[in-house]
Amino acid sequence: MSSDPYSPLVRSLFSTTPHAGDLPGATCVSADAQGVKVQLAASAAGDIITALRWKAWGCPHFLAATEAFCAEYEGGTAAGLLEFSAGDLMNELAVPVTKTGRILVLEDAVRSLGQAIRDGSA
Amino acid sequence: MSEDLVYLDYAASTPVDERVSGLMTEIMTRDFANPSSTHAAGRTATARIEVATEQLASLLNTAPSKLVWTSGATESDNLAIMGAARFRDNKGRHLISMRTEHKAVTDAFDALVRQGFDVTWVEPAANGLLALQTLEAAIREDTQLVSIMHVNNETGAIQDIASIGQMCRERDILFHVDAAQSVGKLPIDLDRLPVDMMSMTAHKVYGPKGIGALYIDEKPGCHVMPLLFGGGQQRRLRPGTMPAPLIAAFGLAAEIAAGRMADDHAHLVRLRNRLWNGIRSISGVSQNGDLDSTFPGILNVSIEGIEGESLLLALEPICVATGSACNSQSQEPSYVLRALGRSDALAQSAIRFSFGRPSSDQDIDFAIQKYTEAVARLRRIAPGEAA
Repeated sequence: MSSDPYSPLVRSLFSTTPHAGDLPGATCVSADAQGVKVQLAASAAGDIITALRWKAWGCPHFLAATEAFCAEYEGGTAAGLLEFSAGDLMNELAVPVTKTGRILVLEDAVRSLGQAIRDGSA
Repeated sequence: MSEDLVYLDYAASTPVDERVSGLMTEIMTRDFANPSSTHAAGRTATARIEVATEQLASLLNTAPSKLVWTSGATESDNLAIMGAARFRDNKGRHLISMRTEHKAVTDAFDALVRQGFDVTWVEPAANGLLALQTLEAAIREDTQLVSIMHVNNETGAIQDIASIGQMCRERDILFHVDAAQSVGKLPIDLDRLPVDMMSMTAHKVYGPKGIGALYIDEKPGCHVMPLLFGGGQQRRLRPGTMPAPLIAAFGLAAEIAAGRMADDHAHLVRLRNRLWNGIRSISGVSQNGDLDSTFPGILNVSIEGIEGESLLLALEPICVATGSACNSQSQEPSYVLRALGRSDALAQSAIRFSFGRPSSDQDIDFAIQKYTEAVARLRRIAPGEAA
């Protein structure tokens, strides 16, 4: 039998997605490239992100990465979003190299979200 | 297999019937001699092979002398296609097949192209069936071989091999059929069918993996060049020590299949219809193929707005296929469904459910529930324009 293409963490993040959904009235960005689609929404108080939500269409690794991002950065700062790098998530979730392009779509969306929050609060 | 799993991938492989595995064990431990040996023990092993050859020949209504044992359908396909093309090389180098064939067929033809042969790939209609006029238009003066599968392994589409074979026979063109998905499941009468070569395998019909057969008609001009060399077994067409336990197992599996084919078929029709009726009302769902012209053991469905790999994971613990099992490591859209004109998105969302003797109403009801829930969840978490 071939090895499981999904790590236990990916399986967990894919099956339980507490951050999936909408945030009405929040700052929102979206991206559509590399065969995936993502929409990120954030509420912020000053530079602090008080809530993060996502909606996405893509493979399990992409959905898991998006959920992992939201879980990790909720409560963080907008400045942190601007420095977000997909590399750590790729390693943490054991995302296949062939899916790098998809995860970079998430990276671009996250940085756009950080910039949108800053622009909105300026 | 774990009891937690619900297996609906019988087109990929079936469990070995307990009577078949019992026979294998008996031969492996008792009648284990080399069938090529002339002593008494060797003759006993040979007798086991002779019984199996009679059993398989009986299922197909043909002569035992027309069957060659192989390692499976892939080898049978290669022996038929490469062997026949090379044998008739001096008469012409044009060959015809379909892009919806199994990789064992398309890759063999691609190899022949690299050796200077010319292959025409005929296109199926949207339901997967080959129109006779399409085939007729592709035939040339130098056409030597046509290879069309009986039941498609992804969609279940059943080709009209009687009419295709008749067209070939009228033009002295050899006709090969990959019947890996139909032998033991649909009635096949090789004494009447205009088929020159037919590939088959045991593990799709409750026999073991590693054993298959190739039917080769004994008419003039119908012959294959061997792919292997090294002994005189099987009239030098497929040399090598004959695996008596596997051959006997295929023979018994064939005999069992012959005795229960009608019951098996009715069981599959009922399960397929139950599943389709349970999911057909989901928005955006469509069958790849149609109920009237597909083998009931396979139901292949696509759905709009759903990513296939995530759907497959969300369906666990149901074991299904996204396309050909041989291609399942790849998440590329199925080349078969693309050939039927499906978009990349629809082909990539395709799930092949396939049913077998052990499948139950409970399995189907669970599949309906999981598929419905998975689609609803993936749509709920998708951005508006994707759902």
